Amino acid sequence: MAGSKIFTRRRDGRVEVRMNDYGRSVVRSAFANVLAAERDPEHEWHVSLSGPIDPSLDHDNPISMLARQTETSTNAELASLTVDEQFLNDAEAWVWLTTLQVALRSTAQTNGLLTDEQLGAADDEMLSYVRTIQSLLFELAACF
Amino acid sequence: MPSTQPLRRTTTEGDVQIEGDVQTDDAVETKKPWNVIVWNDPVTPMTVVVVIFRKIFGYSNNKCTQLMMAVHHEGRALVWSGHRERAESYCVKLQVAGLQSTIEQDA
Repeated sequence: MAGSKIFTRRRDGRVEVRMNDYGRSVVRSAFANVLAAERDPEHEWHVSLSGPIDPSLDHDNPISMLARQTETSTNAELASLTVDEQFLNDAEAWVWLTTLQVALRSTAQTNGLLTDEQLGAADDEMLSYVRTIQSLLFELAACF
Repeated sequence: MPSTQPLRRTTTEGDVQIEGDVQTDDAVETKKPWNVIVWNDPVTPMTVVVVIFRKIFGYSNNKCTQLMMAVHHEGRALVWSGHRERAESYCVKLQVAGLQSTIEQDA
């Protein structure tokens, strides 16, 4: 049913967000965690955000690493700033998508959900969180 | 560093004797392209992968879907190949978008 969609691309190009308080709290937490993980080396997601670019080298190109860190932080900041908006422009909708995806993959890596079997064996709470983020991503991706 | 060292080497090709400069393996190595690899994971929705490929590379929907299916079924897929600097740049964009990506030089 079209009326029940969380994300809808409008004729004026903006993406309308129809999300209840729980949904907003989930995405707010995801965006905040990505931002915190990028800034704090002790954050449990930090490792998944700093994976190697060229695994054959001991150290990656520092310019590329800085570019990755800056872009990830910038996206998460913009996503956090717009988390309560009802309408998103194209750039804002894109940073929502990428930051939610970063949060999803970080969650999976941190919790050892690296195969279908491991995902299937995850506890109900974790599985519910993963499914929630997946459904948000699925709907948002349909706007692009 | 690329090098072309003058080596006197004699080889036979059929009945013809060839003698002259020979490129070393190092020189050949630098000409190999760098590949951007995207790795599979069990949580990323397929449509998200397609959208990210389309946005970053500008590929057609069909090509993005084919690449996504390759990642899904084979565990990894080569999504771009070329100069190292651009390969690194694409790899960073994919990682920023939340996909697991690395670069490697063509074998």
